[in-house]
Amino acid sequence: MTVWYATALILSIAVFAVVLYFARRSATYQDLDRRIQSEADLTAGILAESYHARGTLVEKDTAGRPVLTADVAAVLEVVPDYLLVTSRDGRLLFASPDARALTFAEFEQLNLITRPPAASGPQLPGQVRIEPNGPTLHYIVRAVPDAGDQFGAIFAGANTQSAELRLEQLLLTLLIAFFVGVVPAILVGGWIAARALEPIDRMITEVREITDGRSLHRRLPVPMERDELSRLAETLNQMMTRLERSFAALRRFTADASHELKTPLTVVRAGVERAITRPDVPSETLAPLEETLQEVNRMTELLDSLLTLARADEGRTELHREPVDLREILEEARETGELLAEHAGVGMEIRLPPEPVVVSVDRSRLRQLALNLIENAVKYTPRGGQVSVELGSHDGRAVFTVADTGIGIAPGDLAHVFDRFWRADSARTRTSERAGTGLGLAICKWIAEAHGGTIEVQSRPGRGTTFTVGLPRG
Amino acid sequence: MKILVVEDDKTVGDYVRRGLDEAGYHVDLVGDGDEGLRRASGRGANYDIMVLDLRLPKLSGIDVLRTLRDRGLGLPVLVLTAQDSVDFKVQALRMGADDYVTKPFAFEELLARVEALGRRPKAIAPPVLHVNGLVLDTGSREVKRDGKPIELTPKEYAVLEYLMRHQSRVMSRTLITEYAWDYHFDPGTNIVDVVITRLRKKIDQSKEPKLIHTVRGVGYVVRA
Repeated sequence: MTVWYATALILSIAVFAVVLYFARRSATYQDLDRRIQSEADLTAGILAESYHARGTLVEKDTAGRPVLTADVAAVLEVVPDYLLVTSRDGRLLFASPDARALTFAEFEQLNLITRPPAASGPQLPGQVRIEPNGPTLHYIVRAVPDAGDQFGAIFAGANTQSAELRLEQLLLTLLIAFFVGVVPAILVGGWIAARALEPIDRMITEVREITDGRSLHRRLPVPMERDELSRLAETLNQMMTRLERSFAALRRFTADASHELKTPLTVVRAGVERAITRPDVPSETLAPLEETLQEVNRMTELLDSLLTLARADEGRTELHREPVDLREILEEARETGELLAEHAGVGMEIRLPPEPVVVSVDRSRLRQLALNLIENAVKYTPRGGQVSVELGSHDGRAVFTVADTGIGIAPGDLAHVFDRFWRADSARTRTSERAGTGLGLAICKWIAEAHGGTIEVQSRPGRGTTFTVGLPRG
Repeated sequence: MKILVVEDDKTVGDYVRRGLDEAGYHVDLVGDGDEGLRRASGRGANYDIMVLDLRLPKLSGIDVLRTLRDRGLGLPVLVLTAQDSVDFKVQALRMGADDYVTKPFAFEELLARVEALGRRPKAIAPPVLHVNGLVLDTGSREVKRDGKPIELTPKEYAVLEYLMRHQSRVMSRTLITEYAWDYHFDPGTNIVDVVITRLRKKIDQSKEPKLIHTVRGVGYVVRA
């Protein structure tokens, strides 16, 4: 932000300086134009006046060259800058002291320019640089119409050095102003910006703390001054109130839905269970009852998973934590894993370290996590494959991995495996397998993260997949 | 032993009452919290256990529980809840519930918890189960056939115990799975087939008569 302000400031000052420079420059040159114009006009006036008073104004000097009569020349002598007067046939009649100070070669260049103009209209000023190192002159050439036929042209020129000098001074002044003005402006601007943004920074931190899910009842302090900041704080507070309300509604809905859906499930289950456990039921009646019971359990599982995730979204983690040796959990899961693997024709290996790996966890959730990952690995590994489970410690974390030699996951799908209801291409799973709820890995992710841990997946299609769970110890 | 069941859903209430009735308890069923509280704490109340649904009309289960405990009544209470969330269960336990069962529940689970609260010996399960030369000791967890000891894994043992306890009755694979596996993990019923295959190898192989029988599409039965 400060950088943007500084850039804008520098740019505007630069534009200002450039505009000022060019305006000054053009004004200076106009001054110069006016000066040489009036010098030329003055000379023409003097010549015309003298002509009317005395007639001829040209005489011969001692060498026989035509020159302006001495008294007129004396009058013109006081005109500053470069002034030349020529006769109609192009011979020099008068040169001002500045012009006489030039070397012969330089003087010749002026003489060349001083030709009688074609028309007697107003002349445009020109600029010439006297070579090789003479002055650059701004000049004008004009005719002398009212002085008989003795005069050809008047050349009036002024050195542009004086004008350029003034422009250079202006440029220097601007440059100084630039550094004296801009550098402190940037420093002060940065300080002001930091001061102005500091309350916003604080607000951002507080909003983050509040919206992490557990402190939604808290509100931002509203500053006393009625400015944009206090309005922002009020707006955010209103938003949080609405959020809190909708979370409360969700909580109520979750409770209601769980009750409303589970009561009928209980009723169905009760009926089926009574019928199925009656001693004299023929087996053709038992089969559909068994199917119904299976579906009731499936729905119950789905409902529980959904409710668990809904509560997790609210940021409520419900864990019954106690110190547990993870080896026990995997040891308990071992037999189930081996049975699943045996059924699928897959090898199962569980490697546990000799020393305990004690972590503060919710035992039943960890068991669920381990079994879900193992079941998942077996499900996506073809007959003859291998599933390896390993537990260890790494950098003060308990790490357990479930690796399979199964079909793997396409790179594009890796990002989605923990999404709810996400399923790999169903054609690739064994068709004889009962489909899962599609929530298994989402639940795994929740369990790992609720314990402050992580879950990661690496996979190569056709080679296999490895899930890695890391849990903080201590 | 007398049990008061407070449950507003008639079907669930009837089911619980009949089931407990069959297990040899004397059961009264009421349909709302007010009535439940009156019956439990009124004059001459002599219930040994209360089975209490948490969501009731008029007076909620939590309020019934709190009032009971406020009045100093120590009647053991088993809570029925639809909410499978830890903090809700913790709240119920803090309010003075002794145990809880999550809906939908297997009746066997409810019965086991009622038995535990009533501190009755588990008379329904004889400590040693016999089926034609196959002996399972539920105390020492030893299994023998014709006097020869058989080594079983924990899951094999659980499945066999369940089938022998209900001998001569067809037990569905789902019921077997529920009994032998944790409620939070549904491994699918195929896993039971694997266990049965293993059990047959250990128990029925080259023995007569075969004791474990398959009922297609349903489950298994242990009978002589």
